[in-house]
Amino acid sequence: MKPPPFYYAAPATVSEALSLLSEHRESEPRVLAGGQSLVPLMNFRLAHPTHVIDLNKVTELSFLRSDDGRLTIGAMTRQAVLERSAEVRLGAPLLAEAAGMIAHEPIRHRGTVGGSIAHADPAAELPAVALAMDAELVAASGRGERVIPATEFFLGPFTTALEPDEVLTEVRLPAAPGTGYAFVEFSRTHGNFALVGVAALLELDGDRIGRAALALCGAGPCALRVTEAERLLAGASPDGDAIGEAAEVAAAGLTPSSDAHASGEFKLRLTRIYVQRALETALARAQDRR
Amino acid sequence: MSVTETPKVASPERKWVGKSVRRVEDPKFLRGRGGYVGDFTLPGMLHVAVLRSPHAHARIVSIDVGQARSLRGVAAVLTGADAAQLCDPMPDFGPDPASHTWRCLAHEKVRYVGEGVAVVVAESRYVAEDAVELIDVEYEPLPVLVDPAEALVPGAPLVHEPLGSNVAYDRTFDFGEVERDFAEADLVVRDRLRWRRSGGQPLETVGSVADYDPASGMMTVHTNSVSFTSYLFMVAGTLKIPANKLDINPLPAGGSFGSKLFATKPTVIAGMCSKVTGRPVSYIEDRVDNISNCDHHGSDRLYDVELAVMRDGTLRGIKIDTIDDYGAYIQFGVGHHGNALAQVVGPYRIGSVQYRVRAVLTNKNQQGAYRGFGSEVNNWMLECVVDKAAREIGMDPVELRRKNFIQPDQFPYFIPTGNVYDSGDYDAVLDKALELGEYRHWRSEQQRLAAQGRHIGIGLITCQERSVFSATEFWFWFDEPGAPVTSMPESVTLKIDATGGVTATLYSCAFWGNSPETMVAQLAAEEFDVDPHDVTVAYQGTNQGLPATGPGGSRTTVMLAGAVKGASGKIKDKARQAAAHMLEISPDDLEWVGGGYQVKGLPDRRKSLAEIAVALHLFKHGFPDEVESGLEESKVYDHPYTTMPSDDRSDLGVFYPFMGHACHVAVVEVDVQTGQVTFPHYAAVHDCGTLVNPRSLAGHIVGGTAQGIGTALYEELVYDAEGQLVTSSFMDYLMPSAMEVPEIAIGHHETPSPYTSHGIKGGGEGGRMMAPAAINVAVNDALAPLGARITTLPMTPERILAAIDAANARPAG
Repeated sequence: MKPPPFYYAAPATVSEALSLLSEHRESEPRVLAGGQSLVPLMNFRLAHPTHVIDLNKVTELSFLRSDDGRLTIGAMTRQAVLERSAEVRLGAPLLAEAAGMIAHEPIRHRGTVGGSIAHADPAAELPAVALAMDAELVAASGRGERVIPATEFFLGPFTTALEPDEVLTEVRLPAAPGTGYAFVEFSRTHGNFALVGVAALLELDGDRIGRAALALCGAGPCALRVTEAERLLAGASPDGDAIGEAAEVAAAGLTPSSDAHASGEFKLRLTRIYVQRALETALARAQDRR
Repeated sequence: MSVTETPKVASPERKWVGKSVRRVEDPKFLRGRGGYVGDFTLPGMLHVAVLRSPHAHARIVSIDVGQARSLRGVAAVLTGADAAQLCDPMPDFGPDPASHTWRCLAHEKVRYVGEGVAVVVAESRYVAEDAVELIDVEYEPLPVLVDPAEALVPGAPLVHEPLGSNVAYDRTFDFGEVERDFAEADLVVRDRLRWRRSGGQPLETVGSVADYDPASGMMTVHTNSVSFTSYLFMVAGTLKIPANKLDINPLPAGGSFGSKLFATKPTVIAGMCSKVTGRPVSYIEDRVDNISNCDHHGSDRLYDVELAVMRDGTLRGIKIDTIDDYGAYIQFGVGHHGNALAQVVGPYRIGSVQYRVRAVLTNKNQQGAYRGFGSEVNNWMLECVVDKAAREIGMDPVELRRKNFIQPDQFPYFIPTGNVYDSGDYDAVLDKALELGEYRHWRSEQQRLAAQGRHIGIGLITCQERSVFSATEFWFWFDEPGAPVTSMPESVTLKIDATGGVTATLYSCAFWGNSPETMVAQLAAEEFDVDPHDVTVAYQGTNQGLPATGPGGSRTTVMLAGAVKGASGKIKDKARQAAAHMLEISPDDLEWVGGGYQVKGLPDRRKSLAEIAVALHLFKHGFPDEVESGLEESKVYDHPYTTMPSDDRSDLGVFYPFMGHACHVAVVEVDVQTGQVTFPHYAAVHDCGTLVNPRSLAGHIVGGTAQGIGTALYEELVYDAEGQLVTSSFMDYLMPSAMEVPEIAIGHHETPSPYTSHGIKGGGEGGRMMAPAAINVAVNDALAPLGARITTLPMTPERILAAIDAANARPAG
């Protein structure tokens, strides 16, 4: 379980990193953030990068800013920071709740926000949160900077809209005051990959549900937003069957893959149950917040 | 993690045995000075990586190692064909090793995914793994056997052609009047149960550093295998060197749980590579090597059971028919079923037993040892069917068990197989467990929460915890055994230095997560009235060693206690003679008091051990001629109670006599939507005879229970239809962590063994021998209102939901 030889560079700034990526473009360099996925993949020899650009010395990417409830999180911010930050708990409680479910504590102390989102593991929590929160993802390259909406970022398993010479530098989250939230997931053991995870945000409009945002992980080829279920919820009475129906609709059309831990059929069953549980919790919290 | 009650000291005259002293091993391991095999290095040491088979069953057509050999830093590349020249087959206690031959690397064909095909020896493990990728093997895939039932079908593909079938062993034993008991029974309760394979998962994998000296012909090995002593000469045979040229030195095993019990392959591979290269060679399994190729997968059984029962709850007889999927080789034969037969009727007066075992070979890594060694599977099977019987006759499951208990005045009690239970008090353990398990409280909670749609289940099981095996259980299977071994000794040397300091030398017991040093220190401290933390414990390699067997079958503490008692007795005899001479009095007038000998009734006239020791070490001429200098004695302690099986094997003799007992109460809640199981409460009460260290035993119980939770709910080595091992890393092989293991309320009861030193029984495996049964019974209790029952371990969420779905699909009534 040792990786084959590879070229390694540890730049200190974003611009150095970008020029290294550009310089070695032909070799398809891999960016190393927290290393909690890439390093095992290399040790198992499932990934054979010939060039690795390590961002751990790029301190300018490790930050968390709050501006009128809008959160901006540097890509190299460790996941553990999310759990402990008062700003995150206040401004993006969904993110704080999800962060606590990422693997185990030691992993969260190394794992980064940007690393998880750019790696785009279908079972990872942060992509689902980014989708549910309508996050804006900032990508930088030698060609400049661009902002990618989360809804356009996740393309498939381990596949994103990032170009080979681009680095994800920050995650911007809009303010969402007064929103009920819930992140729930089913995993066989604590800290293991989620078979299904659900990120839910729910606003009340009078006695009715106003806006709802719902994103899943584990249930598809990548994290996904389930807009049909959201539409069904918008304007519905929370007392009726809307949540149950939304759970059915959210699962409809999904074909989760089978793996060592669960059949696709079981994951589908879990999706319905966990969408329901997430929405019920989000609703209760929205009602509490009034 | 656990609540441990402090038992009343059974024998107030004991000063150290029975005390929860701090473990003497801890300081070195907590400081990172344990010296594991990964830290062990020799100048010029090379490193091995193994090319593992990607096929479950395939003929090896050709192997091209040219590119690998020419990679810079590679010292040697050896294929299975090379290894077959360099080494004889592996040590093997299977039924017919000539027909199911096991080698350190696959030769001619591969029989499971992960089997070694070739090895690379290189300057670093990195280079070795680079070179492994350059080896080009052409395979001709063969039909794959994964399902043991399919392996039994005539005409099935053969794992070993010379064997002529895939059944390595098939025999039916009748103990007692089986047919009479079944004919007289009011009803027969039937069950079909499936225990799927899991295995012990040590943090550190198996590793061996071998250093062959071509000048002397000496092979020096440093390894973390825990059985480096007992059958060492067989490893030498495999390596084609004389046994007295092989010196194996123990390194801390880290964890074993049985998985390093007979870990000989890494030593053979490292030894072979050292012989070829003339340099020290280290082979340490990586995680995938260990999970896929460790030769220590656990039991993998299918049971058809019939229990003959009377309406009043009396259990009369049991018929057990089991198919055990051994994988591609069968290194211990069916010894695992000897473990089952040692306590096959549990704590109950079941009068007769029929036992059929079929050992089937398939395309999987072979079985080895895993905490319980097959007895835990029997415990689970028996408790599941006993619980089913209680439901079928409508009797309270606790009362049914109690009604059938062997009573305290019936010991020593011979069970139908011929094994003896030395002592026990099962009602006392049960009563304590009902209390600690808050049984009545949880029964009322179960009803209250049921009204809220919640599913609580309570599983109470009463099981045996056999300890200290005799080797007869490995061969009484055959009318004409190949090797009717009966020696399972353990040795200790005690030395009192000139200052009275005590050093104990162990000849096995590479630290495997247990507390062998604490045990021996406490036992020696008891004899000599010193502080256990002042006793030095040393280990000896095999070349200078005394006969020793090593841990296994919960034997260590009992055997060490016997050896310490024997060696101290010799030392005390000599010290008494010396003291008598020094005090000019008859030895008979002396008594041992407070760390020295004193004249009976005259506490002023005494010699401390230190005074005696310095005299014996330095003042030889102060003593009569026959007294030798020094104060050091050894004891080779043999199994204290073994009898031979009868010729017709209707009586297997006494082979596992020191019978512990336990009662576990598992309280579970099942989420019937998701199939997830949680534990609102868990209690475990064990009786392992006299306690040496209640806290370290509690550690055993907690760890074993955690593993039992793994076996019950999470752990499974899954081979898919193509024989691919899909759980080959800890990403997929799920184990419970601290988050899944509840706080465990632990109770101890002490029924001393009449046959062992201090009355100690072994207790190293008890948690895992009980927990799977308790949790399965608890889950079934939770699901009973739904008409569902689980008969397969592990009880994954999907299996639980499938059982609920099946119950829902059945027409009501």
